[in-house]
Amino acid sequence: MRATCRLLTRSSWKGPYIVPLPIQATSIGARIPPIKTQARSCTILPNFVGLNFLVHNGKTYLPVHVTEDMVGYKLGEFSPTRKPHLNGKVMQQKKKK
Amino acid sequence: MVFLHSMIISEGVPIFNALQRFYGIGPNIASRLCAKLTIYRTAKLGELSQKQLTQVQQELSKLTIENDLHKSIVDNISRLKDMGTYRGRRHAMGLPVRGQGTRTQAKTAKKLNRVERGFSGARRQG
Repeated sequence: MRATCRLLTRSSWKGPYIVPLPIQATSIGARIPPIKTQARSCTILPNFVGLNFLVHNGKTYLPVHVTEDMVGYKLGEFSPTRKPHLNGKVMQQKKKK
Repeated sequence: MVFLHSMIISEGVPIFNALQRFYGIGPNIASRLCAKLTIYRTAKLGELSQKQLTQVQQELSKLTIENDLHKSIVDNISRLKDMGTYRGRRHAMGLPVRGQGTRTQAKTAKKLNRVERGFSGARRQG
């Protein structure tokens, strides 16, 4: 069922929405600096797995580590844009900390 | 009393209604099952032959219903949450998932959306 949902979102002949990102060929052992990007709508491709991203949320860049499950989702889904609305007890607890 | 796939249902219940007591079977699937097994939909459970009952049983075991369905729903939601997606986050907060507003109402989402969705809700019993 999930496969059909994915199909319903976008015409298949277009392929996934891709943004040119500076991804180098990975060499084993070399540490790759996280890729800073504002392209929240970029689809996560299988070759992104294991990479680190810094995805813009409108204010700051939040770290996103791509795992296998995330393939097919968009980068922006992992970088929340809204602050949780807190008040009352929760707020006071946060202030104490 | 007829024992049908983890549920005991009284004999006077029409098959079409009895099938719909299972979580995951609605009017659509129930009528399709009846048509497939050529059982008249108002036929009562007590009127069915033993052979027909086993056929119904077989068809039911092929479907994902009841606990299997509950489990798969919870699995899907918790997978979203573990990944850290926006949708998983909204489920955990009990807020609408698909971009609806929350300024007013959003009652259904507050009632239903959670990671352990479905288990705590009222279950229909035969």
